[in-house]
Amino acid sequence: MSSSGLKFAPIFLLFAFLVFSLVIGLASRARRGDYYPTSARSIGRMGIGAAIASNWMSAASFLGIAGIFYLQGYFAMAYVIGWTGGYVLLLILMASQIRRFGKYTAPEFVEARYDSPVARLLSAVIAILISLIYCVAQYKGIALVFAWIFGLDYTSALLLGTAVAISYMVLSGALGVARNQQLHYLALILCFLVPLMFVAKALGYSWAVPQLGYGAALQELAKSNGSSLIAPWAHGSAYQWIALCFTLMVGTAGLPHVLSRFYTVPNMRDARWSVAWGILFIGLLYWSAPAYAAFAKIWQWRSGASLDPAASRQIADIIVIKAGEWAGISPWLIGALAVGAIIAAFSTVTGLLITGAGAFSYDIYYRLLNPGATEKNRMAVAKAATLVLAVVVVIVAANPPGLIAQITAVAFALAGNTLFPVFLLGIWWDRANKFGAIAGMIVGLAFTFAGLLLGDAVPLVGALLPPTSSALVGAPVVIAVMIVTSLLTPPPPEKIRRFLAEEVHHP
Amino acid sequence: MSEEKIPPDEPGADYRVNFFRPRPGFMRKEVLCIWLMLAGWGVLTFGFQAYLVLSQRNPVGEGVLTDKILFGFPFHFWFTGQFLIVWFIFLALIFNVFIDRLTEKHRKRK
Repeated sequence: MSSSGLKFAPIFLLFAFLVFSLVIGLASRARRGDYYPTSARSIGRMGIGAAIASNWMSAASFLGIAGIFYLQGYFAMAYVIGWTGGYVLLLILMASQIRRFGKYTAPEFVEARYDSPVARLLSAVIAILISLIYCVAQYKGIALVFAWIFGLDYTSALLLGTAVAISYMVLSGALGVARNQQLHYLALILCFLVPLMFVAKALGYSWAVPQLGYGAALQELAKSNGSSLIAPWAHGSAYQWIALCFTLMVGTAGLPHVLSRFYTVPNMRDARWSVAWGILFIGLLYWSAPAYAAFAKIWQWRSGASLDPAASRQIADIIVIKAGEWAGISPWLIGALAVGAIIAAFSTVTGLLITGAGAFSYDIYYRLLNPGATEKNRMAVAKAATLVLAVVVVIVAANPPGLIAQITAVAFALAGNTLFPVFLLGIWWDRANKFGAIAGMIVGLAFTFAGLLLGDAVPLVGALLPPTSSALVGAPVVIAVMIVTSLLTPPPPEKIRRFLAEEVHHP
Repeated sequence: MSEEKIPPDEPGADYRVNFFRPRPGFMRKEVLCIWLMLAGWGVLTFGFQAYLVLSQRNPVGEGVLTDKILFGFPFHFWFTGQFLIVWFIFLALIFNVFIDRLTEKHRKRK
């Protein structure tokens, strides 16, 4: 298992990607003007679906799912199902109605619906927290892959990766890169699927559709190794499985950067259909990710190189890359995997930090602290905020508190405990008012962080509210709190209630 | 859907938006559809896991469903890891087709 030293192929591919982005950026600079509206109309629903998927795919999908499956087997299916089934919830409950509000960010929606600067402030803070947590997971992925590529230790790799990520962000920001999201999706999914076929082939399994063929590997493992990958509750109880799955689902339907997709689609019908395509495109990745881990396990078993739990945990989050290495596929294919993971993490980080910084500079600084701020002023604040956020993320990521998928899940728990109920009741119950929204978000924050901070000290809290899975209990409680508080306080303005009845819920 | 007399799709001045009391016509049918989808989503996702618990013969959850092999996978693994995603896509398709039709029908009425 030698994996030290510089690796030529991934370095070359990474460099090529950065140069390519730069060239695309320079080329698209001349005709930026009305990029979004026109292209959105011409790319169609399938194209918007690909954009949803490319927006979604991060280090958590690319590296995290396989990592968690490698360690926890069937328990990881809660992630797979949570992160796909959440889109069903989003589709049937919110996607088309959100479009009717004509707002562009979660805090804007909250202010428009609840008519309250305080609720807006709270939702902006929550959006920033979600971005931060989500980014920590991405940075862990970036650091691990950079460590693997350049043969560095984790901390140096984290710093190098951050430097590259920030220059990528500054460059693409300065050039206003109109990223082609369809191309982005295509590149990412090919980087993921093609190496998998070669891994399957190298290990002697059916390579044409390895997503369907890795069952044989699982059974082989079960016969030799016991059934710890397959048995449903070998790594977590049924309650933990269901709580996690539910949390990820409501979290998906409450994540600001996922919801913001639906504000900009041309119409409600396209919004709905693009979600269906989105689930298919995301599913392609999620059908495949566990296969990497299963193949990695098979290789270990065959070569007798099984690792102790601590060492397994060390490499779990780059097991996708390890599987390629162990199976002995071409270094270019492994390089494509590694660079695909980096690209996925970079674009996610860029989007999240911009969302977070925007929430700070617009929703907090401009709307609250300094209403007289000029455009230039706000830009400066946004840039500073991006930098501060990035530094905070790096500090936390230097000592990552868990696996990539687990860290990401905490961000979903937060979204599911706060923004999901606020959006759900905001759309489907006109009596929900600002007091309810504010109380709900505060209780939601409490539930999320109770699991995180008190889980070890208070066993009951730890059992009921695992940090990654607090929304099974949290979201219903928050909804109840919102309903009771709203009923005890005056109704929201008539104008908003009529808007809901006449515009939002109108065919 | 029975052909009851559908009132025009303008909400009355006293109408209040409430998921549990959708107004007759478009919204009532839309909410009915949402309920059906939620049932299909919840029963197959969580109901299946609950059934795994009910049918298990040891604490790690092995039982009839994990012994059976389908397409090379233990049944529960195939169902959750592969079929449910297909099911989600199917639900999304059904929902969209239904709402498309509903929207068309009720827009013409205006």
